[in-house]
Amino acid sequence: MILNSEDSRPIYIQIAVWLETEILSGHFQSNEKVYSQYQVAEMFTINPATAAKGLTLLVEDEILYKRRGLGMFVTNNAKERILRKRKEQTLKKLVVDLVAEAERLGVSEDELMTMIQTVRGGRGE
Amino acid sequence: MPVIKCKDLTKHYSRKRALDGFSCMIEENKMTGIIGRNGAGKTTLLKILAGFFQENSGDVNVFGENPFNSLNVSANSIMIDQDMTLPTILKLGEIIEEANRFYPNFDRELAFRLLSYFSLDEKTYVTELSKGMRSTFHSIIGLSARCALTIFDEPTLGMDAGVRKDFYRALLKEFIAYPRTVLFSSHHLEEIEDLLEDVLIVHKGRNHLHLSLDEMKTYAIAVQGSKSMMSEWVGEKEVLFTKEIGGSTYTVVKNNLSADEREVLRMLDLTVSAVSATDLFVYLTNESKGGIDDVFRRDDKG
Repeated sequence: MILNSEDSRPIYIQIAVWLETEILSGHFQSNEKVYSQYQVAEMFTINPATAAKGLTLLVEDEILYKRRGLGMFVTNNAKERILRKRKEQTLKKLVVDLVAEAERLGVSEDELMTMIQTVRGGRGE
Repeated sequence: MPVIKCKDLTKHYSRKRALDGFSCMIEENKMTGIIGRNGAGKTTLLKILAGFFQENSGDVNVFGENPFNSLNVSANSIMIDQDMTLPTILKLGEIIEEANRFYPNFDRELAFRLLSYFSLDEKTYVTELSKGMRSTFHSIIGLSARCALTIFDEPTLGMDAGVRKDFYRALLKEFIAYPRTVLFSSHHLEEIEDLLEDVLIVHKGRNHLHLSLDEMKTYAIAVQGSKSMMSEWVGEKEVLFTKEIGGSTYTVVKNNLSADEREVLRMLDLTVSAVSATDLFVYLTNESKGGIDDVFRRDDKG
């Protein structure tokens, strides 16, 4: 993955989100060691301090835990935490924006629901 | 521990004040971007830190001493720029051998490997190099010297996009493997911002703003909406930049809005967007709030 320079979020947040996705996709299991700040810095050509900030963010959210001298590891219920966080924050914000745009365009609730169902249905095929 | 300390530093040339009460502190093993408009005083500052120029007044301290006439600073620092003086009677390979003799941590093998990667022939002379190749050669010396204080003043002038990209990556790899204090001045902030931890904005010979890159990315926000709505909303707020686009106004303000103020924005149907580090830098160092457009707005002034 290459960082998106159009993305206005600070790099350390983009790093945290990327690592969350890696965990969700099963690339890292519970209690498995993740990349060090230097490995992340190399992968994305970013300052190691920025990489460390991204990892620390995940420690604060209890998705990673530190073992002194050994590195950072995935917590037991990291996946559930990430899913909950994404639903409560990311998805909720998307829905707020979606509803606001629908109101601006005068799209009714039924119409909006149909649009959502169509997208979901189309995916299921 | 700070490696560099400057206090009320001034330096003037016959008529111009290049540095005018400059103060700053830079921590060890950080990579800091030194940015500023043309003539802001960046090069003067860097040359004083490297010990090339002497200040007129104020205090400057590098590794605990004044860098001017200091052998200690000279052996532990290197300044790379376009007009580095290198012997014209030596071949590139011979220059590397000499640099290897002078700098205690110089990695000779790395220097030769980089030379061959960038297709520079060790048997040629600096006078035979194009502008971009010369910049590349200087940067190779700068990276290989592994000096505790490494200063790059516009190192990428003339380099093509591919070489610049490779150079940034080489710098990062070197920085990770052998941490050192790096000062990097460039007009391409958008190209180097990911590499940097901190940014120091030099403006009119002073330290205008010194902050981390993450802080810089969230320092300001842009608000856009209809003219009337916007003028009401802006009110007394400090405006960093403003521009009219058709019937709407685009205004950049400091990002210190409360949750209530953000709710107001939503209700007024004003759109909020982020301001990139490069754009913020330009807004902060512009002479007027309207930028170049103000020059062409003669009719308004009557």
